[in-house]
Amino acid sequence: MIGAGQALPPFEIASIDPQAMVVWADLLHDPNPIHLDKAAVQAAGLGERRINQGPANLAYILNMLAAALPDWRVESTDVRFMANVLEDDRVVAGGTITAANDSHVTCDIWLEVDGRGRALAGSATLVKND
Amino acid sequence: MSDPELPPPPDVSGTSLSGAGTITISAEQNAALCRSTRIEPAADGTAHPIWFFVASQVGMGRSVAGICEACEFDVNEGPMMTGSRVTFSQPIRTGVPYRVDGEIKGLTRKRSRTLGVMDLMEYELRLVGADDGETVLVTTNSWALPRRELAA
Repeated sequence: MIGAGQALPPFEIASIDPQAMVVWADLLHDPNPIHLDKAAVQAAGLGERRINQGPANLAYILNMLAAALPDWRVESTDVRFMANVLEDDRVVAGGTITAANDSHVTCDIWLEVDGRGRALAGSATLVKND
Repeated sequence: MSDPELPPPPDVSGTSLSGAGTITISAEQNAALCRSTRIEPAADGTAHPIWFFVASQVGMGRSVAGICEACEFDVNEGPMMTGSRVTFSQPIRTGVPYRVDGEIKGLTRKRSRTLGVMDLMEYELRLVGADDGETVLVTTNSWALPRRELAA
């Protein structure tokens, strides 16, 4: 039974793998070195650790929704990117159902970074699979 | 609406971002993306939904640097993605050719506590089946372009 106020089971990445950033750089055709090279991150004044691509952070949330609501598929999302996620970070994607009926579920969604708060937050609407 | 006390931002509304070719997500690419996020790919030919962002970004007619250039902004100044919206009409599938249509929606010039002055830039992209012409999704991405030269 799905209802408003229900928390969705979290999806955790125990440690952000910099090798995954190489995969994303290739798929996105994005050679920005802040995702690939610690020296470039330092030179840009952005700290010591490589920075995860923003859409990868949203992908963890989409994984959470797919696992939590397997009979539903995402119809829409609306998210704000609030902070960077860095290599070796532990992140947890979470959500809470805000409304539900026979055809649609809406949720608040977020990605929490250990020790630094939310990197991403927004909402999603899912529709029942055919 | 832009701050009337600031110089107006470049008028880039309507600048086309439509791609010239098509993009097809292979099963291997989808598997690599899924596994990079610690899940296995679906067995039914649907692609991970985050391909909305990847495919539209790769298939559009300009790079992010090119969009920044159209906005008279040097990409080396550090554009920041601030938000993304998407609405799906149907799932994205592997092995299906798509084209990307889209355009810049506009620039809004604002004062920012953290950036001084910035332009909020929005562009809309549509992933369309190349064979059937059906729109699979519409996405709007927003970026902050810090205008340090106007911050003093």
